[in-house]
Amino acid sequence: MAITIQPYRREHESAVQEFNRRLQRSSGDRDLVFSETAIPRWLPPTGSNPVWNEFFVAVENSTAPDSPAHDSTVHESPVRGAYGLKQESVFIRGKGVHQVACYHHALSEGIGDRSYASVGGLLARDALARQPLLYALGMGGDQTPIARMLQALGFSLTPIPFYFRVVRPAKFLLEIQALRTTQWRAILMNIAATTGTGWLAIKSAQFASRLRGRSGDFVAEEIVEFSEWADDLWNHAKDAVSLAAVRDTNTLRLLYPVHVGSVKRLRVSRNGAAIGWAIVGERRKDSKFGRMRVGSIVDCWASPENAAMVVKAASQALEKDGVDLIVSNQSHRVWCRAFEVAGFLKGPSTFVFAASKKLTELLQPIEQNRELFHITRADGDGLPANF
Amino acid sequence: MTDSTFEQVRSVASDIFGVPANKITAASSPQTLENWDSIQHLSLVLALEEKFSLQLSPEEIEQMKSIGETAHLIESKLQAPPR
Repeated sequence: MAITIQPYRREHESAVQEFNRRLQRSSGDRDLVFSETAIPRWLPPTGSNPVWNEFFVAVENSTAPDSPAHDSTVHESPVRGAYGLKQESVFIRGKGVHQVACYHHALSEGIGDRSYASVGGLLARDALARQPLLYALGMGGDQTPIARMLQALGFSLTPIPFYFRVVRPAKFLLEIQALRTTQWRAILMNIAATTGTGWLAIKSAQFASRLRGRSGDFVAEEIVEFSEWADDLWNHAKDAVSLAAVRDTNTLRLLYPVHVGSVKRLRVSRNGAAIGWAIVGERRKDSKFGRMRVGSIVDCWASPENAAMVVKAASQALEKDGVDLIVSNQSHRVWCRAFEVAGFLKGPSTFVFAASKKLTELLQPIEQNRELFHITRADGDGLPANF
Repeated sequence: MTDSTFEQVRSVASDIFGVPANKITAASSPQTLENWDSIQHLSLVLALEEKFSLQLSPEEIEQMKSIGETAHLIESKLQAPPR
């Protein structure tokens, strides 16, 4: 028996379905599933697009990979692991644009059967061999198995701050207290510790944040599709970041295509000229948030001097839609400040950016550069899962 | 397999899995060592590559089903003529 990792093809689909059933049975977690279609539904490869997804599977073969019988046994061979790579271009200040990949949805049979303890490491090493400039995002914190595994492989980890703004404090308190999750209890305790308790505390904390800064007049309009003005914004603002996935018009049209109605595209302008944009949407129902309607500022872009206006415009659009809570993840120092100015509070984050050794080399000096990374919820693989 | 290679592999495994060396035998495996999970398997691979200055291929990593098989693999790699 030998494990080989190969591109996911149609003939693997039934083995992936069986793999998913075994994982769900052994872990009791219904969310542990890999795509049951070989062609990614989100960002499928076309040969010409600048951003695309591709999947790989770890197949256990009873014949050697170079044996003549190998191909004919593919449909009978069990799948023992799988992962996805989101291939994309990133801008690194001073180093230009590079092709990198996001390592995502890595799943191994080793989760439920220790006979396959080697598979997790094989998947990560295979991904690194295919794209040494590799990153992972999210991961549920820096102590989860995937984060620890990547650390063992020399990845550098950067936590991405989490921001939230409570629109309806009474509902927020009711839901969060009923949920009693560790993360949200910690947030409440932080607020209570600094300002008192309950509705007044939240309002006070957010108001105090808002008092620290004001943003000028602007007009926000919902657009159907990005067009050339977004290229100008991209080129004008990119030198203010040390790292950002390319956000030119072509890429934005792929990430937020016209037919996707789960998010809104906002163009923010002043005196008739575009100064920034934001992507906002209501998150799918999630047990972490109970019955609350949770809006998210998924993505945003502007020159530093206009960041606060874009955050305010995005926040107002979600409030108008009737959400109870607005959340966002932001890493760039200026955008973090813009969220604070707009009345957002910082909460504990489980959203982590992990960069491979080779990518970390390109990001040096990382201690100085990491506060200028522009990383949001739109990066990585989170868009289709959350909206 | 020489005692020396086995002892060295056992010593590395002892550090990685947090188990006294004398509790680790050639038959010790992910089924018998509680800490031998996916992450520790990768840690074992990386530690052995570092200690013996060699690189393990995916096929070789997959062969590491027990400490005995791991020591055997390392020894055969050490004895193989350089490519």
